[in-house]
Amino acid sequence: MSETTSASIPLEDEAVVIIGSGAGGGTLAYELTQRGIPCVVLEAGAYLTPEDYENDEWGAFGQMAWLDPRTTSGSWRVATDFPTLPAWIVKAVGGSTTHWSGATPRFREYEFRTRSYYGDIPGANLIDWPITLADLAPYYDKAEIAIGSSHRHGRPPLPANNNYKVFAGGAERIGYKYYATGPYGTNAEPYDGRPGSIQDGFNFQGDKFSSKWSTAVREIPRAIATGLCDLRTSCQAVQIQHDRTGRASGVVYADADGVLHRQAARAVCLAGNSLESPRLLLLSASASHPDGLANGSGQVGRNYMRHMTGSVYAQFEQPVRMYRGETMAGIVADEARLDTSRGFVGGYYLETLSLGPAFLAAFVEPGAWGREFTEIMDAYVRTAGLWIVGEDMPQESNRITLRPSVTDAIGLPVVDVHVDDHPNDVAMREHGYGRADLLYEAVGAISTHHTPPYPSTHNLGTCRMSEKPPEGVVDRFGQAHEVPGLFVSDGSVMTTGAAANPTLTIVALAIRQAEFIAEAFARHEL
Amino acid sequence: MPDFTFTPTQRALLVRLLRAAYPHPTFPDGPFERTADAVIAKANENTWDGLTLAAGLNSLDERAGGNFAGLSDDVAEKVLREIADAPFFRMIRGVAVVGIYDDHEVWERLGYEGSSFELGGYLHRGFDDLDWLPDPRITEYDGPDQLVEVAPDDEPGAQS
Repeated sequence: MSETTSASIPLEDEAVVIIGSGAGGGTLAYELTQRGIPCVVLEAGAYLTPEDYENDEWGAFGQMAWLDPRTTSGSWRVATDFPTLPAWIVKAVGGSTTHWSGATPRFREYEFRTRSYYGDIPGANLIDWPITLADLAPYYDKAEIAIGSSHRHGRPPLPANNNYKVFAGGAERIGYKYYATGPYGTNAEPYDGRPGSIQDGFNFQGDKFSSKWSTAVREIPRAIATGLCDLRTSCQAVQIQHDRTGRASGVVYADADGVLHRQAARAVCLAGNSLESPRLLLLSASASHPDGLANGSGQVGRNYMRHMTGSVYAQFEQPVRMYRGETMAGIVADEARLDTSRGFVGGYYLETLSLGPAFLAAFVEPGAWGREFTEIMDAYVRTAGLWIVGEDMPQESNRITLRPSVTDAIGLPVVDVHVDDHPNDVAMREHGYGRADLLYEAVGAISTHHTPPYPSTHNLGTCRMSEKPPEGVVDRFGQAHEVPGLFVSDGSVMTTGAAANPTLTIVALAIRQAEFIAEAFARHEL
Repeated sequence: MPDFTFTPTQRALLVRLLRAAYPHPTFPDGPFERTADAVIAKANENTWDGLTLAAGLNSLDERAGGNFAGLSDDVAEKVLREIADAPFFRMIRGVAVVGIYDDHEVWERLGYEGSSFELGGYLHRGFDDLDWLPDPRITEYDGPDQLVEVAPDDEPGAQS
C-alpha cells in the first residue's frame, strides 16, 4: 500500500469522481488535486506496488490482467484463438500504464484530419477530430515532461540493446532514416525521483525498478500526497447517475464485498479503457437516456479501434538474446506517413518487441504445434522481434455491446467485442510484414515468422470526440454532448486512432481536460 | 469435482503424445511429465475434459495401428495431424503450450535467463553484448532530409 494515507471524502460530498486510475484517470487525479480540487478515484483493481510485481510472464498476467469474462465476435483472429480475452489490459492502480511498454510518439497533423485527407473510405466511419495537433502540442510537451520521454526536453536516449542492434542495423541497411531508441517513457538516467533503467527485460509485467513511468509510481502517489485524493481500490463503478437537470450527479460502485455505494459527484470522469467505459455508459441507461447514458447518437461503443498490429520474429545464425533490456526501446518512423501509393491510407511504426518463451509459445502462432512450431521455439536465443503498429479504420460495426447472457462476479452483463478487419488494415499489415522481412533479411535473417495480432492492448474509440453531436459521444474537451459534467478521459475519446502508441496522447488529452474542468469550476459553469 | 484416474501406462502414453506434438529431441522428460500431470489435473476440473481425455488416450493405440508409443516422431506427428481437431487433443494442447514453455528446465534448454531484477538486471550482464553487427545510432536522425508526412498526391485537393 501507499505510504501516504488516502483522503476520506464523505459519500454525500460532491467531489470529482474519477473512474479508473490509468493514463487518463491517474493524470486527471494528479492535475486536479494539484489545483486544489478534491477527487474520489474508483479503481476496480488492487494497489500493486513495484515490490508486488512478478517478473514472470504468466505470473504477472494472473496478477494484474483484467480477467473478468468478456466475449468476442467477428472475423478477427483473436475471436478464434482467444475468444474470452479480446483485450490485454490491466486491472490495478495505474491501469494499463502498469504494463505499457513505453513508446511515446506524437500523433501527426494529418492524423487529426483523416476525413479531409483520406476522403470517403468505403466501410470506414471517418470524421476529422474537433481539435488539431496545434491544440494539443502544448499538452504533448507537458505529457512528455511528466512521463520523462527519452529524446525529448533534454532527456537522453536509452542505449542500444541486442534486439535494437539487429532492428536498427536492418533499418539502416534498407534505407530507413527515422529510427532511434525512443522516444520512450523509461529513464535512461535518474529523473523525477526515479532511477535509470537496469535493463531487466520486464515491462509488460510492471517495472520493479520504477525506471518506467506509470501513474502508479508518479501521479497517484502525488495526488494522494495533496490530501485531496480519496483512492478507493477494488471498487468497481456500476452506474453513472444524472439529476433532474440532466447533469452527471453521482456514481454507484460495488466495493470488494460487492456492496453498493453511491458517491455524489460534481463531475464524473470516465477512464476505464475503451471496453469498460462504453460498457458503463450502456449500463447507465435511464428513462432520459434509454439507449445508454449520453448515447442519443447511437455511437457509444461503436468505432472501436485496436490499431493495425502484427509482429515479426526473425531467426538468425548467431545469438541475439532479445529478452535482455528494455522491451520497446526501438522505433522506426519511416512508414508513419500518408502515402497511398503503398496501397493503403494511414501509416505505421515498427517497434522492437521481445517475449519470453512462455508468451512466445502462446502468441507466436496461436494454436500451432508440431515441428514447425518447435523449430521457432528452439531458435529462441537467435531470435529478434518487432511489432508493427499502425492506424486502423474506425467502423461503426466494430463495436462494444452488452452481452446479457454472460455476467461478471457482480452480476452485470459483460461486453462483447466485435471486430472485422477493414481491407485497409489488411493491406497495411501485409506491407508491414514485407518491410519487416526486408529489414531482418538485410542483416542476415535465415527465416522470419509473421505473428498475428495479440489480444488488444491499444483499445481506442467507442466514445469518440466529434464537433457535431450526432457523429460522436463527447466534445472537444471530452465532455459528453448530452450530459453536462460527464467527461470521458481515456482512449475511448479518440476520433481516429493514428499510428502512434496511444498513451502519450491519452495523457496529453487528460492534462488538457483537467485544465478545462478547473477553469469551468472557477467560472462556476460546472 | 470429477475423479478421473489415469494409470501409469496412460500417463506414459500422454507423455509420449506430448513429445510427439512438441518435438524437442534434446529436452529431458521432466517438463513433459510435469505437463502430463497438468493435463490430468485439468481433466479432473470438469467432467467433459476428463471424459474426452480418457476416450482419447484409450483409443490412441488403435488409431496408430496398434502401438502409438512405438512410432517414430515423424509418423507419430502425422497420426496426430489426422486427429488435430479432436477435443481431447485440443484440450491437451491448450494445457501443454503453457505448461511446457513456462517450465524453467525448458527455459534453461532454450537459453532464456528469465527474471534479472534480483541480479541487477542485464545492464552489466550482457544486454548489449551482441557483437556481430556494428553498434547503431541511438539518437534520432538529424541529417538534411525531412520525413514527408503526407505525399504530395495525398494532399487534400491534389490531382491524382
